[in-house]
Amino acid sequence: MSDALPYYLSSEFLFRNALGGGLLVGVVCAVLGVYVVLRRLELLGVALPQASAAGIALSFWASGHSHAVTHEGHGVALLGALGGAFGCLLLLALVRRSPLPPESRVAALYALASAATILFIASNPAGDVELTSLFRGDLLSISDRDLARLVFLATGVGVVFFAFRREILLASVDPEFARTLGKDPARADALLYALLGVAISLGVMCAGPLVVFGFLTLPALAALRVAPTLAIAFAIAAAIAVGASLGGFFLAYRLDLPAGPVEIVASALPWAVIVAASTVRGRRAARLATLAVALAALLGAGPLGCARLLGDGAAAQTPPDPALRGSFPALAPGASVAVLPVRNETGEPLRLAAPNPLADLRRAVGDPFAPPSATVPDALTTITAAELSRRGVPVRAPEDVRRAFPSAPAAAPAAVVTARSAGIAGPLLVSTLRRYRFGESKLLLVHLDLELLDVDEGRLLWSGSARRPIPLQAALTDTEVLIDAAKPLFDEALGTR
Amino acid sequence: MDEVLLRLEGAWIGYGGRAVVRAASLPLRRQEFVVIAGPNGSGKTTLLRALAGLQPLLGGTLRMHAGARVGYVPQRERIDPLVPLRAEHVAALGLYGELRPWQLAGRPERARVHEALVRCHAADLARRPWRVLSAGQRQRVLIARALVARPDVLLLDEPTAGLDPATELEIVAMLDDLRDREGMAICMVTHQLEPLVGRATRVLRVEKGEVTSETRAA
Repeated sequence: MSDALPYYLSSEFLFRNALGGGLLVGVVCAVLGVYVVLRRLELLGVALPQASAAGIALSFWASGHSHAVTHEGHGVALLGALGGAFGCLLLLALVRRSPLPPESRVAALYALASAATILFIASNPAGDVELTSLFRGDLLSISDRDLARLVFLATGVGVVFFAFRREILLASVDPEFARTLGKDPARADALLYALLGVAISLGVMCAGPLVVFGFLTLPALAALRVAPTLAIAFAIAAAIAVGASLGGFFLAYRLDLPAGPVEIVASALPWAVIVAASTVRGRRAARLATLAVALAALLGAGPLGCARLLGDGAAAQTPPDPALRGSFPALAPGASVAVLPVRNETGEPLRLAAPNPLADLRRAVGDPFAPPSATVPDALTTITAAELSRRGVPVRAPEDVRRAFPSAPAAAPAAVVTARSAGIAGPLLVSTLRRYRFGESKLLLVHLDLELLDVDEGRLLWSGSARRPIPLQAALTDTEVLIDAAKPLFDEALGTR
Repeated sequence: MDEVLLRLEGAWIGYGGRAVVRAASLPLRRQEFVVIAGPNGSGKTTLLRALAGLQPLLGGTLRMHAGARVGYVPQRERIDPLVPLRAEHVAALGLYGELRPWQLAGRPERARVHEALVRCHAADLARRPWRVLSAGQRQRVLIARALVARPDVLLLDEPTAGLDPATELEIVAMLDDLRDREGMAICMVTHQLEPLVGRATRVLRVEKGEVTSETRAA
């Protein structure tokens, strides 16, 4: 492990940013979460992340971005997240004198924020992908710059929290006594809410509202059951967050599950164990012992898991083989597949840079005779045909298909109707590109769905999908990305090699 | 003895612009033991909160001797039992008014906390969790918390409410001792005057928001 540690921290380690980001978000939220639980602010702990998510959805809707790997996209996300969280806090401050109980006001805001998130996502062309990214927690898309930003802001939150720890504690346990000491509890409360706003915004941007809410409550619940002092409660909550982040990440990777929810389940483990142990007589010793075991299990699972995940440095570059998902079927003798143009549902143009920059320039100045720019879906259409041929699947001549389908069909039924009218018999392969992102993290985040249709009978013969991130350490240009990604992408999508 | 540490003059005190206490005047001198008594809802606590500076005045003035410090022990302790604090941590909250953000509580500060607990006969409670303390023990620790801030005036709102007679007597004796040895001015609100016989130097009776009578000890 000691030799491997520098490697985990180096930029060569593919999951460094995801692990680092998850750890930071987990620890900051878990520490602040002690106050969320102590002050019965759990409802705010649900509403603020949701408001933050609504802010992200609003910013993407308004700016036309999506939950992207690009710096611009993440900058917009951070602004939206902060805007949502602080807008929610401001609104709550403005209506604080309302006769309604505070819980009702927070609940109303939560309902509004949830509805707003869904509405903004529904109005966004990239909404489907957006929804998945936002709610599952897209840790894998944390770039180096995002991680640096996270470290900076999380450090800032930590420093301010430490500097004003006494004011926050006084305001939390006895605001009236704080006033007799010349302290302003309202100011300390505002500071705590501001720290929560920043931490939650960062967390939602990186891990989604569910993960943030989980880390705000579950580690603190366990810590407050056993900690004799507040300082120890902070330490236990942070340790649970570290264990859950590392252990959860490893388990998610091994079991091919989304990391965020697995980390939440892992962070709930110590609490569940403590609650179960509290029914036993001699409770305190039993609780402490079980907490120690649960923590040891989590902390052990993390590093050991990562060690297993990595094996050695070289092995870490290549994730395990994807699970085969329904192999591409054998065709009837003499049949050949018509590979239709790939439909682009990413909400982005996905243009490829032209080999001759003059062509881009002509298009930019509006030259009507400039050749159309090639796109990723165009390239993927060609690659699909090539990958099928490479696997021994007969493919219909591209020119024949292009005559009937100059552009991608709107949907599978429309493709069958068009094929029949164009006299194309045999199977049709309809492809939909739902996500395509490649950024600093050197991961291609792609979602490609394939459907094989029988034109004669108008039925679905087979479907396949590729969704796993593809590590592409060496690719520098758009074309290199496509070339390097082709084999792993179609290995997964076609379920064949 | 005649040095006035805190003086309330012609004070109108209330909530939302409505006066609960009217035209109250009360000087607090060093080594005085003043008791505010009266029926429920008469304005005793409001008067005490105004002395502590917690309740803004609608009219009148509150003057404090230069450099004098006020310690306040509320009627009901508000510290949530869920907060994992030991008795010594609660008492140490009294230091928070003077520690700078980066300053850690060192040996002298810890000694002050211990000394305050000793003065309140609560040193043996120091390491015990707050949530397991009895009402009387909590009251002692809260008084120690106020003492840690080194007050010249100690204001207490019904510090003996709900306590058994023996504990009540102990706390009153402890307060009297603080007044006597350290020259502190003590002002407390209470319903129970019997334990204070022979100790209180003045008793103010508040009824319907007005100080109706003042009895001085012989």
